[in-house]
Amino acid sequence: MGRVTLEQILGKKLRLLLTSVAVVLGVAFIAGTLVLTDTLGSVFDNVFTTANNGVDAVVRAVQPFKASGRNQSSNDTRPPIPDSVLPVVRGTPGVARANGSLLRFALVQDRNGQAIQNQAPAFGLAWYPRGDNVGDALQLVSTYKGARAAQPSGADDVALDVTTADSGGFRIGDRVQISFANTPPRRFQLTGVFRFGGSDNALAGATLAAFTPATAQAVLNAPNQQGTWDELHVRATAGVSETQLRDRVNASLRRAGLRAQYEAITGTQAANEQSNNIKSNLSFFNTFLLVFALVALFVGAFIIYNTFSITVAQRVQELGLLRALGASERQVVGSVALEALVTGIVASLLGLGLGILLVTPLRGLLGAFGVKLPSGPLQVQARTIIVAFVAGTLVTLVAALAPARRAARVSPISAIRDQAVAPTSGRRRYIWGLGFTVVGVALLAVGLIGQGSNAALTVGAAAAVVFVGVAMLSPLIARPVAEVLTLPASWLHSVTGLLARENATRNPRRTASTAAALMIGLALVSLIAIFGASAKASFASAIDNQTRADFILSPKQFSPFSPGVAQAVRDGFARISRKPATVVEVRQGTGEVAGTVHAVSGLSPDFQAVVDVPVRGFDHAAFARGGVLVWKDASPLCGPSGHATCTTGTTLAMRFPIGGTVQLPVAGVVTDRKALPAQVDYMVSLTGWERHFTQTLDFFVVVLKPADVSTHQADAVVSSAARQFGGVNAQNKADFKNSHLAQFDQILGLVYVLLAFAVFIALIGIVNTLALSIYERTREIGLLRAVGMTRVQLRRMVRGEAVVVAVFGSLLGLVIGVGFGGAIVQAAHSQGIGLTIPVGQLAVFVILAGVAGLLAGWLPARRAAHLDVLQAIGTE
Amino acid sequence: MTTTRPPTQVAYAARAVDASKVYGSGEAAVRALDHVSVNFERRRYTAIMGPSGSGKSTLLHCLAGLDRVTSGRIFLGDFEISAASEKQLTLVRRNDIGFVFQSYNLIPTLNALENITLPMELARHKPDPAWLDTIIDTVRLRDRLSHRPNQLSGGQQQRVAVARALLSRPEVIFADEPTGNLDSKASTEILQFMRHAVNEFGQTIVMVTHDPNAAAYADRVVFLADGRTVDELVGPTEATVLDRMKRLGA
Ligand SMILES: Nc1ncnc2c1ncn2[C@@H]1O[C@H](COP(=O)(O)OP(=O)(O)O)[C@@H](O)[C@H]1O
Ligand SMILES: [Mg+2]
Repeated sequence: MGRVTLEQILGKKLRLLLTSVAVVLGVAFIAGTLVLTDTLGSVFDNVFTTANNGVDAVVRAVQPFKASGRNQSSNDTRPPIPDSVLPVVRGTPGVARANGSLLRFALVQDRNGQAIQNQAPAFGLAWYPRGDNVGDALQLVSTYKGARAAQPSGADDVALDVTTADSGGFRIGDRVQISFANTPPRRFQLTGVFRFGGSDNALAGATLAAFTPATAQAVLNAPNQQGTWDELHVRATAGVSETQLRDRVNASLRRAGLRAQYEAITGTQAANEQSNNIKSNLSFFNTFLLVFALVALFVGAFIIYNTFSITVAQRVQELGLLRALGASERQVVGSVALEALVTGIVASLLGLGLGILLVTPLRGLLGAFGVKLPSGPLQVQARTIIVAFVAGTLVTLVAALAPARRAARVSPISAIRDQAVAPTSGRRRYIWGLGFTVVGVALLAVGLIGQGSNAALTVGAAAAVVFVGVAMLSPLIARPVAEVLTLPASWLHSVTGLLARENATRNPRRTASTAAALMIGLALVSLIAIFGASAKASFASAIDNQTRADFILSPKQFSPFSPGVAQAVRDGFARISRKPATVVEVRQGTGEVAGTVHAVSGLSPDFQAVVDVPVRGFDHAAFARGGVLVWKDASPLCGPSGHATCTTGTTLAMRFPIGGTVQLPVAGVVTDRKALPAQVDYMVSLTGWERHFTQTLDFFVVVLKPADVSTHQADAVVSSAARQFGGVNAQNKADFKNSHLAQFDQILGLVYVLLAFAVFIALIGIVNTLALSIYERTREIGLLRAVGMTRVQLRRMVRGEAVVVAVFGSLLGLVIGVGFGGAIVQAAHSQGIGLTIPVGQLAVFVILAGVAGLLAGWLPARRAAHLDVLQAIGTE
Repeated sequence: MTTTRPPTQVAYAARAVDASKVYGSGEAAVRALDHVSVNFERRRYTAIMGPSGSGKSTLLHCLAGLDRVTSGRIFLGDFEISAASEKQLTLVRRNDIGFVFQSYNLIPTLNALENITLPMELARHKPDPAWLDTIIDTVRLRDRLSHRPNQLSGGQQQRVAVARALLSRPEVIFADEPTGNLDSKASTEILQFMRHAVNEFGQTIVMVTHDPNAAAYADRVVFLADGRTVDELVGPTEATVLDRMKRLGA
């Protein structure tokens, strides 16, 4: 029996290949994503292992609460550690050396005042003299451009990494302007350059500026955090292990009564944690790509199902003969399953190979859409291979299950009588289909009403279930839809058109499940189109109608920038006008309310000058003194359940990264937050922000120029401030809106490209089905040719069928996509998004699908046209 | 239920007892078999004849366990097929029955030898090599064993089918118009092989045919009309069969 199957497979190599392709692309997508993420992971592992080289233990503040959310690395919430802890650590037996470490924003400007910043962040740090240092990641380059180099030793000295020094065009002795997050920009003298862990290009492309420890503390820390460090680095004496060192340091901290606030960890753990922090940010990315890979696999499953259904139907006589000769049901199921297994394994193998080849183009694709990633040697882990094989093989097997069971139901009598496979009764299929659809819609409702991270998962599952349900139901409407689609053919009395329709509807189930693959692609594409159009329209409206701004400064690379920018703008206007400018800063932090961690926005007290954010009972004075504004439905305290807290004058206990829990006066209740850049529940004023948060950089600065300054002059002020700090876009309102809309488009473009995979697989499905159908109809095609159908007509007929199937699938997809898109956007109403349906764009999608169908029909049409008439008629 | 059963235990290899078969229901019901009772002796070659649509194929399918009777009972030896489960039927087909159909007898992707041994492989039995050789020589296929069905003539294909049916020494071989698609020379060969199998190997064969010449190779002819057994002829010749058919035909 096994041999029958293997012969069967080998006899149809082309079919095996076409069928595999459906799964190959999905598997390749998964493998490529995993290899890419692992590669990035290993790059960061190396960076942080190097950064912690020579560090045996790290002492740091205990984290006040665990920050959640993807852009919040956990260190953001850790308070600094003061100098006073150092003697305690140094006095511990087994400690050879200990000193403080800082890694904070510091932006180097080149000789023209332009910021030197790549895609990566810009850091300043403390560099200890030889013999005093703990870590040894930095290596001084002894001569640079012919001059002797030295480590910074004076308060005005700086050293740069080789890449930054090169791109600034600096020489030893040059003056270098550097700006900081919390202190004014300063000029330093370049005394030397260094390499980081043996590499010119420092921390994965970051720019590094090294100062003496005292200078680092002075310029990197906020004025109210002087005399503190991010963490302390400790080196052990010979013979003391990392864990021994950690335990001893913790013991002395405990003796000094500091253990509740500070902790020691091993150097290895510190490196791992830092690397994992970055990697957990990457994992969002990983998930994002994997979602598309799963979509591609899901579509592939439909095609596998379809191909196996068709081949089982075509092999009815043979299966009947096998049954008549004594093959058991198990043996028949087994033979189909074996075929699926071989297909799955071949597909997984090809997919894995293709996936590895795909990594570089994938990185390039993401780069083209603005997501720049560092590169390193490809990491193909055993896990990747296993996942690729399990996914590819499992999907194929599961998809072939129903056809295999149908094969087993072939009665032996089919060998003699030309009798179709006893199908599951139509009614049962439709009842199931209806059941799936209803369950899917119910799941969607649950997902949309519910909150939290599971909501997305639920909505995704709902979509999958609805796809299956609609695919099962769609044969019911295949015929009427095909009739409508081919109306032009009947008006034109085109026989080929009518034959195309008949062919497309003679087996509505086959047509429906072929169309289903495309349906999935189009549903997702139109869902994204609706979501994108709605988000864009809402954003544009918030900017147009609810924001007043002459200029908006925003980060170029999503990383926040120095508040020095806002200060430079204020100073710039003060120099040319006596009237005040309005400069509103926006920051992000995290705080804990009633046991849950929330994103907290920081706003300049006069923020209402630039955005329409209605606040009920706004006590301006209380807000400016450090009060909090609460969103009307803020969880967990407001909304229908807890109105008591949501009134001006009450207090709210919020726990901050620095300073612990504080009773904040509630200064007002926000009733419409659409115009705010972040849809957060709690907003505090920026007065005293540094007392509570370690993160002191701005995300946005909104500027209204003084009335007596011309737009031209104002532009000069703002642009110069932005240029001085780098990494900042300074735009007027219209430009800001347009560039953000362009960013939306860029993300949408990336999503479309990734979905194109799924659509492409669906088109292969159409090719496959048509090729198989034509093989099945060889005799009939011979007959048509014999009675005078020309090759051209024949081709037209086959392509017509392909177009009907493609358009049918895309229309189904459109309906589902609009339904889901509409529901999701409605549910996102509180996020300030209103529904917009891009009708023209959706129409274009359907037309494109039809054209794609035409292309998909090309190959099968050619094959049909080249059949030999006599042979075709003679075929049994 | 296997071939090791003592052959003398039951006189008949296959029996239909008051068997009826109705296709469809209500208005459209077709009574293909109408209370048929008929016995097929061991080691004999029996032909079933009758006009087109008289129920010959239906009777054969019911006897062979490919189809189920609506009422009445079917026995293979002493085993009641009409009461057997689907699993038991599979085993019966595998071990106790051989088939030769009019067309589509072979798996297109297997060569001649593989087609011959297929039922044994399905049952995971090793074919007896000497017996396999005997059969291959009997049907004269030695030089065609590695050919695929599409490389064989119609007559050769039917010879492969006969060899396959003989290989497991089944209780009965059922053949439905095995020569229906063949020219007279190929037909004669097939009929001679089957006769040879009955004479030399003691094989039981039940064959449906509408060709008096073919029926003349049998030991006995059973005549069907409108789903009923209407006549019987022992030791038929082409002439006596033609004569009987003329009388029934009207
Ligand atoms: N699957 C079926 N469904 C309905 N009627 C059938 C079926 N198979 C056979 N028949 C009918 O049963 C009768 C006997 O058919 P069959 O046994 O094939 O006749 P024969 O082989 O003698 O030509 C005929 O009237 C035929 O139309
Ligand atoms: Mg018949």
